[in-house]
Amino acid sequence: MITLDFIINAISLGSLYALISLGLVIIYGILKMVNFAYGELIMIGGYFLYIVGLNTQIPWFFVAVAAILAAMLVSFTTELVAFRQVREKSLTALLITSFAVSTLLQNAALLIISPRAKAVPLPAIFSTSVSLLGANIPMRNVLTIVTTIILLIGLSLLLKHTLLGIALRAAADNFKMTRMLGVPANLVISIAFILSGAIAGVVSLFWVGRTASVTPSIGQAPLLIAFIATVVGGINSLEGAVVGGFVYGLLFSFIGVLLPQSMLDYREAFMFLIVILILLWRPQGLIKGRFAQERVG
Amino acid sequence: MKKNNFLAGISTYSTIIILSVLMLIIATLTDLFGGSLLVRIVTALFVNLIVVMGMQVFMGNSGILAWAHVGFMGIGAYVSSICSMSPEIKEMAVPQIYPFLLNIQFSFIPSLLVGTLVAIVIAAIISYPLMRLSDTTAAISSFALLIIINSILVHWDRVTNGPRTLFGVEEFTTIWTAVAGAILILVFAYLFKESSLGLRLRASRDDFYAASAMGINITRVRYFSFIVGAGIAGFGGGLFAHYITSFTPTAFYLAETFNILAMLVVGGTMSVSGAVVGTFLVTATKEGIRAVENFINLNNLLSFDVVGLTEVLLATALIVVLIFRPQGILGGRELRFSKKTTGKNRLLNSSESSLEE
Amino acid sequence: MLQVEHLKVRYGSIIALHDISIEVHEGELVALLGVNGAGKTTTLSAIAGVVKPVQGKIVFLGHSLIGESPEAILKRGIAVVPEHRDIFPNLTVEENLRMGAFSRHNRQEFMEDIQQTYELFPILKERFHQSGGTLSGGEQQQLAIARSMMTHPKLLVLDEPSLGLAPKIVDQIFSLIVTLRSRGSTILLVEQNVNRTLEIADRAYLINNGRVALHGTPEELKSQSAIKDIYLGKKHPREVNLDNT
Repeated sequence: MITLDFIINAISLGSLYALISLGLVIIYGILKMVNFAYGELIMIGGYFLYIVGLNTQIPWFFVAVAAILAAMLVSFTTELVAFRQVREKSLTALLITSFAVSTLLQNAALLIISPRAKAVPLPAIFSTSVSLLGANIPMRNVLTIVTTIILLIGLSLLLKHTLLGIALRAAADNFKMTRMLGVPANLVISIAFILSGAIAGVVSLFWVGRTASVTPSIGQAPLLIAFIATVVGGINSLEGAVVGGFVYGLLFSFIGVLLPQSMLDYREAFMFLIVILILLWRPQGLIKGRFAQERVG
Repeated sequence: MKKNNFLAGISTYSTIIILSVLMLIIATLTDLFGGSLLVRIVTALFVNLIVVMGMQVFMGNSGILAWAHVGFMGIGAYVSSICSMSPEIKEMAVPQIYPFLLNIQFSFIPSLLVGTLVAIVIAAIISYPLMRLSDTTAAISSFALLIIINSILVHWDRVTNGPRTLFGVEEFTTIWTAVAGAILILVFAYLFKESSLGLRLRASRDDFYAASAMGINITRVRYFSFIVGAGIAGFGGGLFAHYITSFTPTAFYLAETFNILAMLVVGGTMSVSGAVVGTFLVTATKEGIRAVENFINLNNLLSFDVVGLTEVLLATALIVVLIFRPQGILGGRELRFSKKTTGKNRLLNSSESSLEE
Repeated sequence: MLQVEHLKVRYGSIIALHDISIEVHEGELVALLGVNGAGKTTTLSAIAGVVKPVQGKIVFLGHSLIGESPEAILKRGIAVVPEHRDIFPNLTVEENLRMGAFSRHNRQEFMEDIQQTYELFPILKERFHQSGGTLSGGEQQQLAIARSMMTHPKLLVLDEPSLGLAPKIVDQIFSLIVTLRSRGSTILLVEQNVNRTLEIADRAYLINNGRVALHGTPEELKSQSAIKDIYLGKKHPREVNLDNT
């Protein structure tokens, strides 16, 4: 049944998926690397909400902000400690490193907290609904859409109108030349990781908000979503990733309604098949790429 | 002259000799003196080694990371299991199995071969286009392939019993079966590396443009090597299935990928000896830490159960290796009798690594 | 200003530069000439800090450059405009220039620099808000030079600016280089285009097989037949007697 609330919920999912993809592509644009540990940043946000929310009486909003900061910090640290040292080496080494970091973080959560899912306290507002034109829409979804719009606008402004933003885009175009103009490479990359972490942090709020729980492997699904979306939408541009994520979310919602029950399980496999086909037909994704294809050296 | 040829022959194949003897010694000692736990650990080690060597064959020689490798291990595992299980057990294990699959039953070796073959065929069908892709897109599609294979294994209940456990596989893999398989693959991997195909692949790894200019069809060379690697993975998967006797698709996904990668990278991707050394080292370390974990848990030394410590330490070790010694412990060198390398190997076995560039 | 003495650079087991010694004095336009593979770009890479020599000295304004990073060498005042221009295709002309001025934090200075850029490179004023990728080859070369000028370099190094450009555009670029020099810039120009370069250079070095085969003023060089022989292919570069120097 395609009703107004279904449409808005689909848009909400699309927004969330768009955000997820954005966080991954920021790193990819500059370093040409898929940060496998990106999902774990979302996990960190979730666990932060769990630990602080459970043990203190701090209002959820502040806990949420702190969770975002935590994700930013972890992202920055993984770059500083691991990726920076391997960056000069091959892309393969970088990818394996990010995979190792992902495994490390996941299992650290397993070890330090628990392999079992933990309930995450959510703000009351997440359970309320809003009445719009006769449709009943969860407030959570409205917030997702609003937050996404704000973040996209904010990031856009940052990239287009600040010196830092121009430097980030220049680094994505041609990293070597950026260095030769005296732009500190490490600074640019660190900022990219911090931004990626910030987005992951925001995503974690809404992702955890859907199930009200967190597990060590909670980051896997978003990573795959970001992966599919960026490949389909265009791994070579931020806009492509955002559009890809949005379309994926919409598609996912609509296919869920339209597909017969028996085929539903194959939804995922189907999407991945599309990924490979698109990669073969149009490796730069559906939206024309902007980033240079050269690797960072 | 003849004596020189003989000695030259020995030194050329000294790697195979050294590694095979090493593996046989370990198998013998374990069989004679080891308890049942140790036998299981060593059997698993040899099975893993086969999969690692399969990855070495492609990744070590081409410089490209095949993320989908353990996916083919899974294919081999499931196919060989369906082939070897009796219809009665199959009916219970996979309730909705297709009739034509229900009634087939082969003995162990043929089942292994069918599993290997299916892995090869599937790799042959889907991988050709992937070989043409560049660095970044190759890595992405490779990863996507792994996810697709996993997705199919999870969802095709009528063959795999879906996400649920497939149980009832007979434990045909003994420590001697495993070591025999490992030695077989060892010889194969080494000969592959030194073969014309292997040389061409390594040339493409070291200098893409020079190799192309020399007339090497890089796409085709990669394609055949990928198929070989996938076949070895399928073979290993079959042995694995008949060792562990029950498994789910998750056994052939990210955790196992990490495992195999760690073993290969630690030892050194560019040599077969590296695969062997890495597998031994990582297995020993894991089992050691696991023993500590179990000790702590069984004796309730800590108020909570220690889980995941192995992976945390292993991941840390892998990162450290990648930072400080990306070429691995052996640095791409093979274990040999003599220090001198033969002419063609001196250039192609330089201690640089595809992970260093 | 810049002194390179007995530079030796090795790539693995291949010796790219055997013995290179060149000098650039303030206000000069010095050219490095030579065929492909002679060692010109390697010399530049060593100066820019991209490659580390195994022997020799590189001294700039009294400081040794050996072992310093490209960013540090830029701070010392050497700006290199690379062989393939390397402008940022997805950034506008303005943004490209802003990136050039990144290491200089003065907004006032930036505005003044932009005015100068308008004067010297009028076409860039026209295309100020267009993205770099839409510019023609010649315009991109101008943008690359303008961008490097933004760093207020003491020494401007140009690596084959005429590469891939039509003769008329090459003329434009070369007259631009002359203008820059007349305004006081010190320029090290690497080129394959011998004739045009000798028309504008104060002094030139002919690099051959990793060594300096000839050097002197354009008049001195033009009178040496060796240079013609190499370029006209009458003699293979390796046949030229290097002791002619």
